[in-house]
Amino acid sequence: MSNIAVENLGNGSESEPQSKPPEWRRYFSFSRDHKVIGIQYLVTSFVFFLIGGFLAMIIRAELLTPKSDVVDRALYNGVFTMHGSIMIFLWIFPTLVGLANYLVPLMIGARDMAFPTLNAVAFWMVPVFGLLLLSSFLLPNGTAQAGWWSYPPVSIQNPGREVINGQFLWILAVAVSGVSSIMGAVNFVTTIVRMRAPGMTYFRMPVFVWTVLSAQLLQLAGLPVLTAGAVMLLFDLTFGTSFFNSDKGGNPLLYQHFFWFYSHPAVYVMALPIFGVFSEILPVYARKPLFGYRVVAISSIAISGLSILVWVHHMYASGTPGWMRMIFMFTTMCVAVPTGVKIFAWTATVWRGKLRLETPMLFALGGVIMFLFAGITGVMLGSVPIDIHVNNTYFVVGHFHYIVYGTIAMGMFGAIYHWFPKMTGRMYYEGLGKLHFWLAFIGTNLCFLPMHPLGLQGMLRRVSSYDDQYAFWNVLASLGGFLLGMSTLPFILNIVGSWVQGKKAPDNPWRAIGLEWLVPSPPPEENFEEIPIVISKPYGYGMNEPLTATESPEKVAATQ
Amino acid sequence: MRLLRYWPWVGYAGFVFLVSLWMGQQSYSWLPPQATAESLLIDDLFSFLVVLGTIVFLGVFGVLMLAILTSQVSRFDISDGPPIEGNVTLEVVWTLIPVALVLWIVTSSFNVYNQMNIRGPMDVVHLHHMGMEPAYAATLDEEGQPIEEIEVNAKQWAWTFHYPKQNVTSTELHVPVDRRIRLALYSEDVLHGFYVPAFRLKQDILPKRTIDLEFTPILKGKYRLEDSQFSGTYFAAMQADVLVEAPDTYQNWLKQAAATKPTPAFNQAYSEYYRGEPNKPVEVGWASVPPAKPPLVNQPTPEGIDEEVPDKKGIEKDMGEGSRE
Amino acid sequence: MDTSVTPEHLQSAPEKDGIPGEHADNRMFGFIVFLLSESMVFLGFFGGYIALKLTTADWLPPNVDGLEIFNPAINTAVLVSSSFVIYFGELALERHKLNLFRLFLFATAAMGTYFLVGQAIEWNGLNFGLTTGLFGGTFYLLTGFHGLHVFIGILLQLGVLIRSFTPKHATPENHYGFAATSLFWHFVDVIWIILFSLIYLWQ
Ligand code: HEA
Ligand code: HEA
Ligand code: CUA
Ligand SMILES: [Cu+2]
Repeated sequence: MSNIAVENLGNGSESEPQSKPPEWRRYFSFSRDHKVIGIQYLVTSFVFFLIGGFLAMIIRAELLTPKSDVVDRALYNGVFTMHGSIMIFLWIFPTLVGLANYLVPLMIGARDMAFPTLNAVAFWMVPVFGLLLLSSFLLPNGTAQAGWWSYPPVSIQNPGREVINGQFLWILAVAVSGVSSIMGAVNFVTTIVRMRAPGMTYFRMPVFVWTVLSAQLLQLAGLPVLTAGAVMLLFDLTFGTSFFNSDKGGNPLLYQHFFWFYSHPAVYVMALPIFGVFSEILPVYARKPLFGYRVVAISSIAISGLSILVWVHHMYASGTPGWMRMIFMFTTMCVAVPTGVKIFAWTATVWRGKLRLETPMLFALGGVIMFLFAGITGVMLGSVPIDIHVNNTYFVVGHFHYIVYGTIAMGMFGAIYHWFPKMTGRMYYEGLGKLHFWLAFIGTNLCFLPMHPLGLQGMLRRVSSYDDQYAFWNVLASLGGFLLGMSTLPFILNIVGSWVQGKKAPDNPWRAIGLEWLVPSPPPEENFEEIPIVISKPYGYGMNEPLTATESPEKVAATQ
Repeated sequence: MRLLRYWPWVGYAGFVFLVSLWMGQQSYSWLPPQATAESLLIDDLFSFLVVLGTIVFLGVFGVLMLAILTSQVSRFDISDGPPIEGNVTLEVVWTLIPVALVLWIVTSSFNVYNQMNIRGPMDVVHLHHMGMEPAYAATLDEEGQPIEEIEVNAKQWAWTFHYPKQNVTSTELHVPVDRRIRLALYSEDVLHGFYVPAFRLKQDILPKRTIDLEFTPILKGKYRLEDSQFSGTYFAAMQADVLVEAPDTYQNWLKQAAATKPTPAFNQAYSEYYRGEPNKPVEVGWASVPPAKPPLVNQPTPEGIDEEVPDKKGIEKDMGEGSRE
Repeated sequence: MDTSVTPEHLQSAPEKDGIPGEHADNRMFGFIVFLLSESMVFLGFFGGYIALKLTTADWLPPNVDGLEIFNPAINTAVLVSSSFVIYFGELALERHKLNLFRLFLFATAAMGTYFLVGQAIEWNGLNFGLTTGLFGGTFYLLTGFHGLHVFIGILLQLGVLIRSFTPKHATPENHYGFAATSLFWHFVDVIWIILFSLIYLWQ
C-alpha cells in the first residue's frame, strides 16, 4: 500500500532554506506547534544529556583508581548527585516528552495537542529549571550532594549555613520540573482521550500512544506525592520544621516513602514510552504485524497499575519491617509478568519476518536484549534476601544503567533515527548510524556489565574511593564508559551533518504503516490537510489493507 | 518422523539447561567468602535465581538471535512477512510461565528470609502504641547458647563497637564464631548502613532509633564493615574491620581490651578533614559537616590500615577530653 | 454533592474541529484530570500526617493540649454551605438569571473570605508555631496549603464575577470559566472536610 514515489518530494525545494531564512528561528521561538515543541524538547534535553554524560565521565575517571584522587570528596558527591538528577529530570523525562509531543498528535490524527499554549509553557520551563539546577555549581558551597534521592537528614544538614544552598536549588528545580511534567501529562491525557481522529478507536491506536498514555497517567498519580514530600523537605531545610529531622523527633523514613512512591513509578514513566518505540520499530523492519497487539497494549496499563504498588523494594534494607518486605517482594515480582508478555511479543514479531537491519532496527534489537538482561537482574533485586546483600552496591547501578542506557538511551536513539526523515525531511547516513550502534552497544556492555560482579563482591555505590580488590572491574567499566562517551560523536556528526545537507527524505522511507507516514516529510504545520478517517488496525503489514478511508464518516461507521 | 523436526529445539533447550546449571555453580565464586550461616542460604537462593535467569535470558536471546540471523532479506526485497497477528494459546502459555516462575521465586525467597530470622526493624507504629522497646523473652539462641549482644554506634564518620558486659569500646568489631550475635544498631546523626559483604547482611541504621540485627558467623577471618547508606562527604571512608574469632581468642581479646586505658583511635575522615591540624580544617572548597572527633576506645584498630595516615600527633593533642558523648 | 459536571459537558466530537484547544469541553476534561492529580498532593500530605501522628511518641508539644474546635467548626459550616451557594449560582446561570448568578457568586466569595479570616484569627491565637515539633509543622503546613487553595478559589470567583459584566461571557452555553471555578470550589470543600476530620476531630 505504501509504495510512494521517492522523487515526488525532493525536487524544487533545494533552494528553500534560502528563500525561507526564518525557518530555523521557529525553534528558538515560543511556538505552539507540537512538532516544533517536540524538537525543542529533543534538542534541549540532548544538551543536558551531554552535560550529564560529561559528569559521568568525571565519575568514571575518579573510579579508574581506588584512591580519591581526581576530584575532592565533596565534589564527587556533588557530581554523582547532579549526574543522576540531570539525566533523569533533564534528559529522560524531557526527551520522552519531546518524542511523544512530536508523534502523538500525528499518530492519532490530530492537528495539535489539546492545549498548545500550555504545551509551550511546559517546554520553556525545562531550560529554566535546567539552568537553575546547573547554577548551583556556582554557589560557594556547591551543588546538592545527597544523591538524587536527597534523603534527609544528610540533605538538610546544610554545613555552609546558607539559605540558598545547592539542596535548595535542587528542590526548587525538581518542583518546577514537576509542574512542567504535570502540565504535559494533563495535555497528553486530554489529547489522547479526546482528540483522536474518527475511527481511531483505542484498539487502533499505535502501541506508542498506549504507552505514552500509561506513562502520563502514572505521572499524574505519582508526581504530586513527590511534590508533597519535596515541600516538607524544603520546609525542614529552610524554615526549620522537623518533619524528617530526627534531631527534633521527625521521621526520615517517611521521606523515603514519599520519594519512592513517585520515583519507582517514574522508572516506568521512563521505560514505557521506549517499550512503545520498540513496538513501533520492530514491525516496520520485520515487515510483520506486532504480535499480540491487544495484549501488548493492555500490558502497558497493567504495568502502570502494578508499579504504584511496589515502591518499598527500594527500601528493603531501610527501616522496613519484615512483613512489609515480603508483601512488596510479591508485588515487585508481579511486574515481570506483563513485561514478559511484551518481550515475548517482540520476539514473536521478529520471528520469521523479513528483517532489514537498518540503524533503528539495530538499536531496537540491542535495546530489547539489554532490557531482558536488566529485567532479570531486576527480579533478583526484587528478592529480599538477595537485595539485602546487593542493595546500594554497584549491582544496582549496573541493573539500572542497563535500562537507562542500554534500553532507554538505545531506544531513544533508535527512535530518533527512525523518525529523523519525518522530522527533518532528510535522510541520515546509514554508515555513521551503524558505527554509532556498535560503539554504543559494546560500550554499554563493557561499562555496565563489570558493575555486576563488583556489586556482588560488595562494592558500594556513591563511594569516591574503594578497596584495591575492586580495581580490575572498575578499570574495565571506566574504559567502557569512555567508549560510550566517544559513541556520541558519530551520532552528533550524523544528525548535524544530515540535517544540514542530508539527502532529501521521501514521505515514507521505511514503507511503514501509520498516520504519521501518510503526510509529507516534514509534516505541514496543520499536520493533515484533511483529518484522516481510520478504518483498520495498526501494523497491517502483509495484509494489504488501507489504513485510512476517504469515504464519508457514515460509510466508515457502517462498515465497522 | 515429525519429532525429528524438533530435534534442534530439544538440543538447544538441553544446551540452555546445562549452561544454566553451570552458571548456577559458577555463581558461588562471584560472591565474597561465606562467613555467616545466613550467607549459605542466600548464596543458594542466588544460585537458583542465576539458573532461572540464565534459562530465561538464553531462551529469549537464542530465539531472537536465530530470527535475526536467519530472517534477513536484502534491502531491495520489498515483500512483507506473514501477517500473523497473534496466537491465543501461545500468549496464554507465555503468561502462565512467568506467573509460575514468579510464584516459585517468591516462595523460595520467602522461605530463605524466614530461615534467616535476622530480626531487623520492628514496626514503629506498634512500638509506640505499646510504649515499649521490643523485649525478648530469652537471650538464648536455639541451641541454648547465650546470645552475644554488642552495641554498634555510627556517626559521621566513625564506627564504634561497645561490649556492654565488659564495658569495652573498640573500633574493631570482634565476634565469636558459631554463636548467635545480636547487634544493637544506633546512629547519632544521619542514616548509616551496617554492611559486611562476607556476611551478606545489610541494615540501614535510622538516627535515634535502635535496630536489632542477628546472625551467626561461621568462618573465622578478618572482614570489612562498610557504611552502606550514603552519609555525606566522607561516606566512602567510613569503614571498620570485623574479626570473627574462636571463642577463647575472643574472650581473651575482651579481657585484654578491658584492661587497656582508652586512647583516641585513628579516624580516616577526621584525618582527611584536618590534615593533622585540629583547629584549622583545610579549605576543601565546598563546606562539609565536620567529622566527629576520633572515638576514644580501649582497642583501636592497629595502625597501618591506611597508608595515608597523616601526622598523628596533631590528632592526639586534640584528644585530651575524649569524644564519645 | 456536585452535579455541575454532567456527561454533556464532557462530550466532544473530535472530528468536528479545526483548531484544537478552543474547545471548552476539552478544557473541562483537562481541568478534571488536573484536579484528580492535585488531589494526590493532598493525599500525600494526609498520608504523611497520619504516619507521623501514629509514629510519634509525644505528638502534642508540652504546653499544648489539643485544638479548640468550636470556632473551626463554625468556619467549616460556612465553607461547606458556600458550596451549595455556588451551586445555586450555577442553577441561576442555567435559567439566564444573570444578576442572581452574580449575587450567588459574590456570596460564595464572601463566605470563602470569612473562612480565611476565621483561620487567620485562629492561627493568631495559637500558642505554638510552625517549628513547634511535628504537631505544629503538620498543622500549619496542611491548613496553610489548603488555605492557599481557598484563596485561589476566591480569586477565580472574583475573576468570573468581573468577566460576567463583559458581553459573551457567562452564558449558559459558554461558561467554562465558571464551571471550572465551581468544580474547584467543591474540591477545596471536600478536602477541607477530610482535613477537618483529621486535624480537629481526630485528636
Ligand atoms: C528505568 C527503568 C527501570 C525499569 C523498567 C526497571 C525494572 C525493574 N526493576 Fe529497577 N531500578 C531502576 C530503573 C528501572 N528498573 C532504577 C533507576 C533503580 C535505582 C534507583 C536508585 O537507587 O538510584 C532501580 C532499582 C531497582 C531495585 C532496588 C534495588 C536497591 O536499591 O536495592 C529493585 C528491587 O526490587 C528493582 C527491581 C526491578 C524490577 C523487578 C523490574 C521489572 O520491571 C523488570 C521486569 C522485566 C523482566 C523480568 C524481563 C522480561 C520478563 C520475562 C522474559 C518474563 C520471565 C522472567 C522471569 C519470571 C524472571 N529495581
Ligand atoms: C537516565 C539516566 C542515566 C544515564 C543515561 C546515565 C549514564 C551513565 N552513567 Fe549514570 N546514573 C544515573 C542515571 C544515568 N546515568 C543515576 C540516576 C545515578 C544515581 C545517582 C545517585 O546515586 O544519586 C547514576 C549513577 C552513576 C554511577 C554511580 C556513581 C556512584 O554511585 O558513585 C556511575 C558510575 O560509573 C554512572 C556512570 C554512568 C556512565 C558511564 C554513563 C554513560 O552512559 C554516559 C555516557 C556519556 C555521554 C553519552 C556523554 C559524552 C559527553 C562528552 C564526552 C563530553 C561532552 C561535554 C560537554 C557537553 C561539556 N552513573
Ligand atoms: Cu555512615 Cu552512611
Ligand atoms: Cu523500583
